[in-house]
Amino acid sequence: MAGLTADERAALLDSLRRLLADRCAESDVRRIMASETGHDAALWRALADLGVVGLTVPEQHGGAGLGAIELELVMEAAGAALLPAPLLSTAIAAALLDGERLAALAGGYSIAAVAFAGRDDWTGRGDVRRDGAGLAGTARFVPDAAIADTILVTLDDAVFAVAREDAEIVPLPVFDRTRRLADVAFRGPATLIGDGTRIAAARDIALIGLAGEQAGGARRILDMTVDYARERHQFGRAIGSFQAIKHMAADLLLEAESATSAARDAARQVAEDTPARAESVALAAFACADAFVRCAKDGIQMHGGIAFTWEHPAHLYLRRARSAAQLYGDSDHWRERYVRALEVEA
Amino acid sequence: MTDEQLKTEVEAWLAANWRGTATHKESFGRDPRAEWLAKVRDAGWAVPRWPSDFYGRGLADEQARIVERAFAAVGAPGAGQDRSNLWANTALAHATPAFRREIVPQLLAGEVGMCLLYSEPGAGSDLAAIRTRADKVDGGWRVSGQKVWTSGAQIADYGMLIARTDWDVPKHRGISFFFLPMKQPGVEVRPLRQITDEAHFNEVFIDNAFVPEDNLLGPLNGGWGVLQTALAYERSVMGDAARGPRSGAAGPKGDHALIGLAREAGKLDDPVIRQQLAQTIAWRVLNRLNTQRAKAELQQGTSSSIMSLGKLAMSRILHEEARVRTLLLGVESLLEGAEHPRAEDANFLTLNAYFTSIGGGTDQIQRNIIGERVLGLPKEPEVDRTIPFREVRAG
Ligand SMILES: Cc1cc2nc3c(=O)[nH]c(=O)nc-3n(C[C@H](O)[C@H](O)[C@H](O)COP(=O)(O)OP(=O)(O)OC[C@H]3O[C@@H](n4cnc5c(N)ncnc54)[C@H](O)[C@@H]3O)c2cc1C
Repeated sequence: MAGLTADERAALLDSLRRLLADRCAESDVRRIMASETGHDAALWRALADLGVVGLTVPEQHGGAGLGAIELELVMEAAGAALLPAPLLSTAIAAALLDGERLAALAGGYSIAAVAFAGRDDWTGRGDVRRDGAGLAGTARFVPDAAIADTILVTLDDAVFAVAREDAEIVPLPVFDRTRRLADVAFRGPATLIGDGTRIAAARDIALIGLAGEQAGGARRILDMTVDYARERHQFGRAIGSFQAIKHMAADLLLEAESATSAARDAARQVAEDTPARAESVALAAFACADAFVRCAKDGIQMHGGIAFTWEHPAHLYLRRARSAAQLYGDSDHWRERYVRALEVEA
Repeated sequence: MTDEQLKTEVEAWLAANWRGTATHKESFGRDPRAEWLAKVRDAGWAVPRWPSDFYGRGLADEQARIVERAFAAVGAPGAGQDRSNLWANTALAHATPAFRREIVPQLLAGEVGMCLLYSEPGAGSDLAAIRTRADKVDGGWRVSGQKVWTSGAQIADYGMLIARTDWDVPKHRGISFFFLPMKQPGVEVRPLRQITDEAHFNEVFIDNAFVPEDNLLGPLNGGWGVLQTALAYERSVMGDAARGPRSGAAGPKGDHALIGLAREAGKLDDPVIRQQLAQTIAWRVLNRLNTQRAKAELQQGTSSSIMSLGKLAMSRILHEEARVRTLLLGVESLLEGAEHPRAEDANFLTLNAYFTSIGGGTDQIQRNIIGERVLGLPKEPEVDRTIPFREVRAG
């Protein structure tokens, strides 16, 4: 994998941020949230044209051929903008797929959702199992399943692809409407597309992408809160001059910066496949989840009543933070995994 | 010089010169390793980022780190002082050329003991409220006043002193910064017994002590600016590391020491304990990742907001690690004394955590600084900021 120079990386992020400012402003997020599918095909096309959809797809399959480091940075920008799009699902799928399927993915023509359903997985949600040559049972809370043409299912030692027609997909009513989830029931037909060798890498991609999203989201809601604390006056002073507010902001900055450091470090350890890989991914998983929830939560408190209104964006961040904190295992789970990784060394 | 050449050179030098193991060093006072440190200094390894005509090698940060890593690899002290030696860096930035030439080499070799004469009974968080005075006389100044909480004063040769040199201007603008010679009749040091039962910090009574002309750092009445340099180094050092267990010998060490302690205590299987271990260790690791990222960003020329977070982060780390240690020990933590080194450590660390959360500016003051200087939030109203210091209400 080639990787990018610092300048190329900055240029990519710059154009992504411009695209998001243009096509994924708060009003767009709200429009997409309110839509039936929660998906904006035109925005997805624009992201594909920019090369972000196929970011981690190898170049010979039409992707940008980049890795965890770039994915994490892209997800920071996506998280900051609350991008409602199957970007993370696509990156995970790219880590599981081969050949032609990859090209369709990179081009933005095919959307694949991923259900992690192995025994060792963090979710343990549902009861998917082998059924002859195919699959039976239900995978629960699968992100982006309702807009996917293919559902990828990982068991302990196998990866299956299931066409949407061969599954029963039931969209769920979700608290965070920027991230749609569905239950997917399997009725037999499924194509075995791989053994278990790629699953661990795909899982790391899922966690790194999510960590980036959380770090980016945490930083954005903190920035919005600090901006407001500079503007809003009470008792003849900006509320940010009150220590009760200022000190909360300082504490949140520590959380948000730590989340960014953790997410970027995990991406680097995975990209370089170091011995610290498992440990740093686990650390990022809980540090970023907790930081985002805390920044979003305290952000509402620091805004006061205005942030209790539907029209104010703060609750959108809290919703996103709460969905991210559950999606791929909760913080307690990852703290436990972190200690397990450290125990081996200590 | 390429990275490879530099690495080869420093490793060869260490191989030819480094024989020992590092002896323990308290953060204040003269350094028992002075002879070795002088060697390091003269070879240009102490402060390689500094200019090559002044003990350095003019190296960029990246290369200076190669030197630091080579020293760390063999356990040799003395490298990296261009980041960590608050005294030498402050002198380099602000001392007169003559005084700099005299004092800096001694500071780099740890040949002189140092202390910080900032806090006073009436000026702690509000340092600009100091009342120690320095009055101009022939060839220097005469200093009178009282300092307090002065760590290491009893073994110091110099104190970095802030004193008031103009009483008719607002409080920040009438302060000057000196290197006060400590071993003279007008300086009396009285140790204070600390909550750790040690006596590292002191009261310092200064009565008509003399400080020579050349020991003024920065401009007269420009001491507040010099102080900011010195405080920045102090806080960055405090954010990077802190004193460990006092017993020195007891128990597992390093980042993951808590895991070893939990294993010893038979509590490593307790799921509630495991959650707390993970969180506490995570804070320490995150602080290191933050610092690494801050340094990388500074090097790329983007300013980094993270640098100022380290000391606040370290306070939480130290208090929480001590809490978890105590949790692991349970009732054993009720004991003390040499036969109970684990309890000694847990209890000492519990108390000494305040060194970081109070010393060098309290956590609350750090939050003010982060809120105001990093996040750009407005300052608290400060009633005495603009009036002549003479008119400021004290007490
Ligand atoms: C172990 C140790 C070693 C030390 N070594 C040295 C040394 O070598 N040299 C030296 O000069 N000093 C030293 N100090 C002193 C240290 O810098 C001061 O104790 C510290 O700055 C606080 O000042 P204070 O003790 O007067 O507390 P105060 O300033 O009286 O503070 C009391 C409380 O009020 C809070 N507070 C005060 N002002 C504000 C504000 N604006 N906003 C919010 N909260 C506020 C503080 O956070 C604190 O909780 C040391 C202290 C300790 C504990």
